[in-house]
Amino acid sequence: MFGDFRNDQMVKEHSKYAIQVDEQAGQLKAALLKDIQRSIFVYRVDCGGCNGCEIEIFAALTPLFDVERFGIKVVSSPRHADVLVYTGSMTRSMRVPALRAYHAAPDPKICVAYGACGCSGGIFHDLYCVWGGADKFIPVDVYIPGCPPTPAATIYGFAMALGILGQKMKATHHIQGEEERALPCHPRVPVELRVDIERESRRMAGYLYGKQIAEKFLDSFESDPKHVKRTIQSYLDQQDDPRLTEIMTRLLQVHQTHQGEE
Amino acid sequence: MLKLIKEVLKVGEATLPYPFEPIEQMPGFRGKPHHDPERCIACAACAIACPPNALTITTDFDRGFQTWSLFMGRCIYCGRCEEVCPTGAITLSPDFELAVMNKQDLYERADYKLVSCQICGLYFAPLKEIEYVFELLRQKDMPEEALAGMRSRLETCPECRRKNDVPKVVNLYREEV
Repeated sequence: MFGDFRNDQMVKEHSKYAIQVDEQAGQLKAALLKDIQRSIFVYRVDCGGCNGCEIEIFAALTPLFDVERFGIKVVSSPRHADVLVYTGSMTRSMRVPALRAYHAAPDPKICVAYGACGCSGGIFHDLYCVWGGADKFIPVDVYIPGCPPTPAATIYGFAMALGILGQKMKATHHIQGEEERALPCHPRVPVELRVDIERESRRMAGYLYGKQIAEKFLDSFESDPKHVKRTIQSYLDQQDDPRLTEIMTRLLQVHQTHQGEE
Repeated sequence: MLKLIKEVLKVGEATLPYPFEPIEQMPGFRGKPHHDPERCIACAACAIACPPNALTITTDFDRGFQTWSLFMGRCIYCGRCEEVCPTGAITLSPDFELAVMNKQDLYERADYKLVSCQICGLYFAPLKEIEYVFELLRQKDMPEEALAGMRSRLETCPECRRKNDVPKVVNLYREEV
């Protein structure tokens, strides 16, 4: 929304150096993408990330996920590589090394934009020194989003690049229907009570868990307003969590004060 | 050697069978934000909360549309959108298989209609948001005639409302004096 314009001039100037894949290399690459019959060697290019992505790549190499069973091996030189994995956002000072790594790798090669930063600049997209994702200069074949992608997501991305698995994501575009309405949640709970419950729950457990806990409370209120205390108590006995008990007890108190007012 | 084989058999296999079998995700895992476009009221709370601006709202005042868009390639899966969503339209699903060959497939969009002001006729707020406020007021047991009055008030843009209200306030003040 904001920062995209800041470096526009500079990026535009440098975008003319963006790599165009020539025809022959393109054909080879298409064949490579279609059916790779051999192991692939991967070279990582860190263009200026936080190293979270590197940690996850190495987690994917551990015995637990073990990408080497597919013949995927991390190599230490782009000259040995079939796949270049670009992690981190494309920073001004790393653009030249990134390009050098690309040119050093033999054709045909597959480029992977890895992580939110590699795909688009991620959370750093509006920094003064960040020029966007890897695809600003490098012809990217596979995008693996995530911050960082989990080892499983990494395996999925590589399996997709190798043609083992198909793509699941599709671009969607919803257009508001004629009679489309959104109603407030929990219509049977008095608004004041709902607001107080949500507020207290947020105060004690934070936004995310507070919301979940309030949701649980309001659900049991809606299903049986008379016996909230009993339902909640049996739920708490099931969960056996002192923190949850503390918060739910407080919510029951809030509920009681509302009853007292009525 | 035999000892080693024994040891290996005892330990068993640590490697997960993924991708040939589905992987089990821990509870609370934050994956792809799932957006339910029917429940969304286009209030833009998520776009304001989103730290990397993966969620953006653009308003087309000429055509009367508000476009909600999520770019998965920039999302950091922090769950702020889920936290702030007043209608629970966004939840973080455990879906993590997001890799794509084509960048356009990382976009999710939804178009919402805007309401035009009853007085000046300019578009100013999403229809669903206004309807939502109206429903909230109804839930608060507002009497029907007051609701009807509220309807025209809600469908007036803030600028026109201000212009309308100032003479009323001045008159009130004069009556008191």
